[in-house]
Amino acid sequence: MTLFHFGNCFALAYFPYFITYKCSGLSEYNAFWRCVQAGATYLFVQLCKMLFLATFFPTWEGGAGAYDFIGEFMKATVDLADLVGLHLVMSRNAGKGEYKIMVAAMGWATAELIMSRCIPLWVGARGIEFDWKYIQMSIDSNISLVHYIAMAALVWMFTRYDLPKHYRLPLTFLLGISVYKAFFMESFVHIFLLGSWTALLVKAVITGLLSLSSLTLFVTLVHSN
Amino acid sequence: MLEEAGEEVLGSVLLKASCLPLSFLLVLPAVLLLLLGPPPASAAHEFTVYRMQQYELGGQPYGTRNAVLNTEARTVEADVLSRRCVMMRLMDFSYEQYQKALRQSAGAVVIILPQSMLSVPQDVIRQFMEREPEMLAMETIVPVYFAEEDDELLSIYEQTQAASASQGSASAAEVLLHTATANGFQMVTSGAQSKAISDWQITSVEGRLTGLGGEDLPTIVIVAHYDSFGVAPWLSHGADSNGSGVSVLLELARLFSRLYTYKRTHAGYNLLFFASGGGKFNYQGTKRWLEDNLDHTDSSLLQDNVAFVLCLDTLGRGNSLHLHVSKPPKEGTLQYAFLKELELVVASQFPEVKFSMVHKKINLAEDMLAWEHERFAIRRLPAFTVSHLESHRDGLRNSIMDVRSAAGARVNSQILTRNTRIIIEALTRVIYNLTGKGVPADLQVFTEQMVSKCEPAGSVLIQQEQMESVMDWLTSQPRAAQLVDKDSTFINTLEYYMSRYLKDVKQHHIKADKRDPEFVFYDQLKQVMNAYRVKPAIFDLLLALCIAAYLGIAYVAVQHFSLLYKLVRRVSFKSKQQ
Repeated sequence: MTLFHFGNCFALAYFPYFITYKCSGLSEYNAFWRCVQAGATYLFVQLCKMLFLATFFPTWEGGAGAYDFIGEFMKATVDLADLVGLHLVMSRNAGKGEYKIMVAAMGWATAELIMSRCIPLWVGARGIEFDWKYIQMSIDSNISLVHYIAMAALVWMFTRYDLPKHYRLPLTFLLGISVYKAFFMESFVHIFLLGSWTALLVKAVITGLLSLSSLTLFVTLVHSN
Repeated sequence: MLEEAGEEVLGSVLLKASCLPLSFLLVLPAVLLLLLGPPPASAAHEFTVYRMQQYELGGQPYGTRNAVLNTEARTVEADVLSRRCVMMRLMDFSYEQYQKALRQSAGAVVIILPQSMLSVPQDVIRQFMEREPEMLAMETIVPVYFAEEDDELLSIYEQTQAASASQGSASAAEVLLHTATANGFQMVTSGAQSKAISDWQITSVEGRLTGLGGEDLPTIVIVAHYDSFGVAPWLSHGADSNGSGVSVLLELARLFSRLYTYKRTHAGYNLLFFASGGGKFNYQGTKRWLEDNLDHTDSSLLQDNVAFVLCLDTLGRGNSLHLHVSKPPKEGTLQYAFLKELELVVASQFPEVKFSMVHKKINLAEDMLAWEHERFAIRRLPAFTVSHLESHRDGLRNSIMDVRSAAGARVNSQILTRNTRIIIEALTRVIYNLTGKGVPADLQVFTEQMVSKCEPAGSVLIQQEQMESVMDWLTSQPRAAQLVDKDSTFINTLEYYMSRYLKDVKQHHIKADKRDPEFVFYDQLKQVMNAYRVKPAIFDLLLALCIAAYLGIAYVAVQHFSLLYKLVRRVSFKSKQQ
């Protein structure tokens, strides 16, 4: 399509991040460099993950169209490193809980956005061929922002030393869901042969539910003591 | 892949020098990408297209003048066709619509042909055949392409047709909805602009059988041009014109080579076989072959004592045969004898065949010669053409519809064999003077009993299977003059086949004159066309509005996040108090 179309996709992908950064008060804390540091940690963690995957999970060469559930599950397990990375970011920042969560999530999600969506958008959305997938990709980036905020909040709660005992089980459950969400989604799409729009909708609903539960836990935890 | 590699590189750099300004690292690839041009996207559909002829003959340009295409597709139903690529199907092709499209200055025309001509009704084939020369003669600036239909292309055509038809009579809302749901297609060819091929060589192949007895024997020349012609060179298979002529020529060469190996049947005539190239371009190969043989050489079979020249053209269909002459042969000459023998053989052995002589004077004022024998007649050699067509203007001679098997017009190997039989019976009667020796008219020479004295007997019979396989070989590839160069497998096979039976087989090459070329061919005749799915500009505008609205809602939602926070707090406290 045209540069205009690229502009559309770009605006749809990036502006929610900008709005969140501005309106959440992060800009008032001068948190830009902290976010960049979080992004750098993201890069480091991704590199470690890639090295690990390349070493222990050689490319699965199954028949075309077949889906390797176990292999994908093992790969999703490696995403646990994300949790460690988020914890690392938050442990290095001093401040209020909300502030730590937002800095880690913003930096993390923005780094992901830049690294994994910038180039496909630039290459694809500007080509002659029109495809809805670039719009979908942009919407997907909005969903992943919410996802990472929820995930960072869960990690923050999980690593608190004064965490009440009965919180541990639901938190572990939610963390598990957030780590294996991508794997669940892919299997889901594969089994039910969902269209790309339906898959996106399902993803949005799941992420919404996950973040709402995280918010509830957060609210009850913060205001209980 | 790209992003992963990028990540890896970035990551490793980061490990070494984590203090480097990270923003710079992130911006750098983006800047690099900005400098590069827009990338080629993966196409929705990629298909092969064959371009219309482009050539000049005697300074006169024919066919399309252009090869580059990058426009949006429409069908003829659309109101505005200017600078659009007009798609048509052969099934509902009409010359008026084609002309209309070109008059409205369409950007290009793509004509979709069905995969097999068998499914096309005969009248459509006939009609298209008649229009082909007109399409070539008309001044066509824009490119015209032919494509073979497949499911994808058909679906593109149907979507385009739906879009083109609904364009005129719809309300604004309908049009807006349509832009979001329907697809437009941008047709793009990958090749460069067409340019003249310099120093193109037209190849002809000749071979001979020398007669028995002395130096100054009369020579019979048997000629057929091998090249095919149609509105698109890559699609011209030329089954009847002139695959049939070549296969008859090769069969005659085979049979006479057998007869000439035995002393008893070795006749006192030289036989010269010539498979000429460039026949569809005013018989260029024949013309220069004659010039070289008559003007530039001292000794040639053509220079002295040519009995007659027999040209073979379109012999694969129908139940009639015509002997085309430019001057009725005089009594007492060998050509007259051959004419009489032909009449005799047809009348006594093949009564179902209608035979007649067609007399047409050479019209030197016309651009194109009618038949190949006229090239010889101009040089005062006695010549005629045998064909089942009554007129040289028949569209069949220059059509892409002249394929091996089309509906109702199949090149029939039985008819081909029969015509071969008629010609060879008449030829042997002339060569061995059988009528003069009192052989009855209804005696067939090439039958089992007659040739049983020869060893091996079967080889002197006309072999229908062999002729059929020769026809299969001839029609398996397009033999347009622009596509057959001197190293092509076609020429090599033809030369090999002829050298199995004939002596002194050699190629004859001609090149157009540098300063005043008789013919100029152009390249880019076969290309890959991409159909990209696109949306109109109004769609982007609409999308921008939607995105702006969405961002507005997102802004309000983030601003008032505290409302949600408070709500959740209240609900959770309520549940705790209970």
